[in-house]
Amino acid sequence: MAKVQVLNVAVLDNPSPFGNPFQFEITFECMEDLPEDLEWKIIYVGSAESEEYDQTLDSVLVGPVPAGRHMFVFQADAPNTALIPESDAVGVTVVLITCTYRSQEFIRIGYYVNNEYTDPDLRENPPIKPDYSQLQRNILASNPRVTRFHINWEMSTDKMEDSENVDPAPNTMAPPTCITGKAPPLGHMPDNSMDYL
Amino acid sequence: MKLLKPSWVTHDGKPIFSVDIHPDGTKFATGGQGEDSGKVVIWNMAPVLREDDEKNENIPKMLCQMDNHLACVNCVRWSNNGLYLASGGDDKLVMVWKKAAFIGPSTVFGSSSKLANVEQWRCVTILRNHTGDVMDVAWSPHDVWLASCSVDNTIVIWNARKFPEIVTTLKGHTGLVKGLTWDPVGKYIASQADDHSLKVWRTMDWQLETNITKPFNECGGTTHVLRLSWSPDGQYVVSAHAMNNSGPTAQIIERDGWKTNMDFVGHRKAVTVVKFNPKIFKKKQRNGNAPRPSCPYCCCAVGSKDRSLSVWLTSLKRPLVVIHDLFDKSIMDITWTLNGLGVLVCSMDGTVAFLDFSQDELGDPLNEEEKNTIHQNIYGKSLAVTMETQLSTTVIENPEMLKYQQERQAAQSAIIAQATGPDNQTPKLANVVNGESLEDIRKNLLKKQVETRTADGRRRITPLCIAQLDTGDFSPALFNSVPILPGSSVSTTLIPQLSSDSNTATSLCLRAPPEPPATSPTKNTDDKESGNPSVNSAALKSNLLLTSASKIEPMKALDSRFTERSKPAPGMFSVCVRGKEASGHKDWKVKEDTSSDSEDKGTQRIPPLAKRKADMDGVEVVEKRKKGRPRKDTKIMMNVPHSYPQVRAVYLGLENELCVRACVRPCVQVGTDPVTYVEVENEVSVVAGARISQLRCCREKSEWDIVLPSRIVLTAGSSDVVAVACEDRTLSVFSASGRRLIPSIMLPAPMSALHCSAFFVMALTASATLSVWYANDPSVPHSTVNQCVLTEQGVPVVGLSSGKTYCFSPSMETWNLIVDKQDSLVQCADFRNCISSLGALGATGPLAITQGRNLSAGQLASRLSSAPHHLQQGMTLAFLENQLCSSLLLLSANEYRHWLLIYTRFLVSEGYEQRLRELCKDLLGPVHKSSSTSWEPKVLGLRKRDLLMEVLPVVGQNLRFQRLFTEYQDQLELLRLK
Repeated sequence: MAKVQVLNVAVLDNPSPFGNPFQFEITFECMEDLPEDLEWKIIYVGSAESEEYDQTLDSVLVGPVPAGRHMFVFQADAPNTALIPESDAVGVTVVLITCTYRSQEFIRIGYYVNNEYTDPDLRENPPIKPDYSQLQRNILASNPRVTRFHINWEMSTDKMEDSENVDPAPNTMAPPTCITGKAPPLGHMPDNSMDYL
Repeated sequence: MKLLKPSWVTHDGKPIFSVDIHPDGTKFATGGQGEDSGKVVIWNMAPVLREDDEKNENIPKMLCQMDNHLACVNCVRWSNNGLYLASGGDDKLVMVWKKAAFIGPSTVFGSSSKLANVEQWRCVTILRNHTGDVMDVAWSPHDVWLASCSVDNTIVIWNARKFPEIVTTLKGHTGLVKGLTWDPVGKYIASQADDHSLKVWRTMDWQLETNITKPFNECGGTTHVLRLSWSPDGQYVVSAHAMNNSGPTAQIIERDGWKTNMDFVGHRKAVTVVKFNPKIFKKKQRNGNAPRPSCPYCCCAVGSKDRSLSVWLTSLKRPLVVIHDLFDKSIMDITWTLNGLGVLVCSMDGTVAFLDFSQDELGDPLNEEEKNTIHQNIYGKSLAVTMETQLSTTVIENPEMLKYQQERQAAQSAIIAQATGPDNQTPKLANVVNGESLEDIRKNLLKKQVETRTADGRRRITPLCIAQLDTGDFSPALFNSVPILPGSSVSTTLIPQLSSDSNTATSLCLRAPPEPPATSPTKNTDDKESGNPSVNSAALKSNLLLTSASKIEPMKALDSRFTERSKPAPGMFSVCVRGKEASGHKDWKVKEDTSSDSEDKGTQRIPPLAKRKADMDGVEVVEKRKKGRPRKDTKIMMNVPHSYPQVRAVYLGLENELCVRACVRPCVQVGTDPVTYVEVENEVSVVAGARISQLRCCREKSEWDIVLPSRIVLTAGSSDVVAVACEDRTLSVFSASGRRLIPSIMLPAPMSALHCSAFFVMALTASATLSVWYANDPSVPHSTVNQCVLTEQGVPVVGLSSGKTYCFSPSMETWNLIVDKQDSLVQCADFRNCISSLGALGATGPLAITQGRNLSAGQLASRLSSAPHHLQQGMTLAFLENQLCSSLLLLSANEYRHWLLIYTRFLVSEGYEQRLRELCKDLLGPVHKSSSTSWEPKVLGLRKRDLLMEVLPVVGQNLRFQRLFTEYQDQLELLRLK
């Protein structure tokens, strides 16, 4: 059984201009003191077509982690626009938050991200070369897709097989139905705001 | 009967393998298959019971969902005290869950269902040992053990007080073990497996008691589970899938001899699950009719692969009700509500059904007291003495006792409050850290959180701890001290929990953050707010350890019915006195008596021997008829009238057996005095060749017995004492209620005559020495002997190579046996449950040194399961009294106190009221001073009344002794005021 449970992820500064850093406030709970740090990563999927455009925006170690409930804010810079295929700049893509312990990934949280121009004119007639300064990034915070993996939390080296788990991204991320819907209000969100639909 | 299928109890259509109702009846758990994992769900019971609650959207239906099992969950079971939930699954794990404190409602992050978890149940222990799917788990009575069985063919018994310690692994099944049930008194556990067998194991030594195969020989095919069940009166085990004449049955196995003569017939396919109603019923009394005595009966629900459910009463030959087509697939599990009127059934088809019976249909449930009476009658008298459940119906009669009990409960509920965390406190604690609200923290978290760089230049964030976990609270004291009292759903200890439940039921949403708790508002990232409670609970815990230690041991039960009384061997007495000698003592005795301080007796004694003999015989015959007491020829029978008695021993030769009979007649006669019988049984076989002797004494209504390691050759009694001489030349003296007064006295030669009068004991030995002891105070402490000093207290101690150790008592001028390594009493005594947590520290001193640290006490205790309970009780008692007297003799105050407390705990837990009373009386002494009393206010330098103050709280633990407690508490108080 997983020693670390993610209880909540609040998406801060959302929606925001494309160039703003990502901010996720992560609340997790740990069953017992962890001797090693957790490693968190934010991965931006540049193109749904291929993993080669995935960018790891940042990775951070979190520790020490005693037993208990903890929270921290994971901030990472916006993706490098040069690495994003121009055709995929506008529209729906995915941002992933992963956490690993002893180099084993045990949770993967995926969010749909909708990048669109705020200006109605630009929306009607998007420029061929994307104008990232005019793009707004809207993370569908209310609908995280969480996949958990069974890992070996103990010292022993033999890895547990997790055949029953299927890697969720990106094929489990079906296109969202209402990405243009209103984003949840920012700021004073209750703990479980993500689950208000 | 009402039937309901709550459609909202579902695992999204996936099979539900197990269901169990919480002991407080407010919730139930289901276990089964989840999305890609096992799933345990805790549901609210109220919407099942009441339609209004079902419609009320503010009342949550699901309380908590746990997806932590990696594979399908086969079994969920609540502990008897309701604090824990155990679940076992295909992932080979058993998980133990506990409701979390300090943490408010939350969701399973990212789960498709958006329902919040109203309660937080957290896995506190994962039990890993099985190498295959865990099929069934079961908590023992009193939650001492948790058993789990698996397709790896084994049953693992876990120590529920020290998870994940394994008590033992039961091996013997040759097929998948698919069901477990404990006997209601905790003496056995039964298991059923695919290997066509049902096995019953003893909890005393964890060995196989019986293996039943015959009803299962024909069994073909397999069922997913074989959940068998033990009846609440303990008399029957009912198996799952059995066959009789090629028809599927549920086999009834009688505890008495494990006979398999009856079964429940009628299901068309294999029986998967049997579950007894926890209540015992009696016939409903119709209004106006005179109450007619009727036999109590049990009620049992049987579920089958044929998708139907049948409910049986043991008083009826046909089922009470059969419900067909309740489900689309096989029934997997059944659970009754604690009141015995509701039953929840779950099925492979992913649905559950609830059946609601009325008392008219099932009968009047017996209350706990009546149920305990049944247990007592069947399994021995000590069974329910320490059961809290019984006490719920006892009226507290006195404010002192009430105060004492309330203090205990307050301490306990304080711990519950901290452990299980009333929900209305939860948001407060979760949302406020060091006086700063969570909202404020969150606003500034990014700026405030500590970020460093590791040596290799990576970012490292120190997370902010917003709540500590309470997983460390898995302490034995906590675990065992707060049982739920069945039958009284609103017990005082439960109030915090219940009220919090109702709170959450009426308002689901998060409450506004209340005031910060009254802890130091030091601003720091540390989590000081939860530091305080944990300190408190630690302190409270240690208190509790003291008081609860004696009642948390499992019941050692004890049905004497199964043990044959060992027959005394013929001709086993070796009588060392001849008739001539016996009559020769007369003069001696007169002399002794006149020289002692009871002059008035001597002159009036000694009626002619012949007459006495006749008297005695006459009395014996009459008594024999009147009492109808079966008697063996080799027993010593005596009756001891109450007034100044005098002992005469007469020896009758009966063919090739020698029989010893003694009779006591009054000289100053008081005709209507009650008669005392003393009965001796030698050579009671116990275990491993150990043999003991037993002496039983009954006077008026009271009856007691003691056991001795050696054969009893002579016994004598008076209104105040009973003296016993054994073959090994020891002389033991017991009080009127059977308490040992002086340690075994070693006589220089075999005993030839023994007489008692009031507190005086006279012994004449074959070497023509005569001694008289004043049993009430054998050691008048003035002279100290300075010879052969071995102990710090100046008591000479001599140990022999035979393993016996003697110490010389200067006051009695005798050598007394204090240690005997071969003593079967020592080996068989089982007082471990009476040792307080601090007790082990207190036991240092000369006694411990002479007896050796690893005294073999209790070595054989665990193998004693076959011995009747009262025998073991007696052996423990004898051992403890020996210890008490020995430490007295060795002048070891520390050890005396230590053994006194253990002894008291034993008396309290086993319900020896008379001895307890006598003990208290002696410790208290005369309340009013008078010159004639010889009571010493101190024993070994300890004030007896101080000891009494230590003893009384132990007495007060058992409500049964509340009058005793009150009586002495009052007198102590009175003395203190003086």
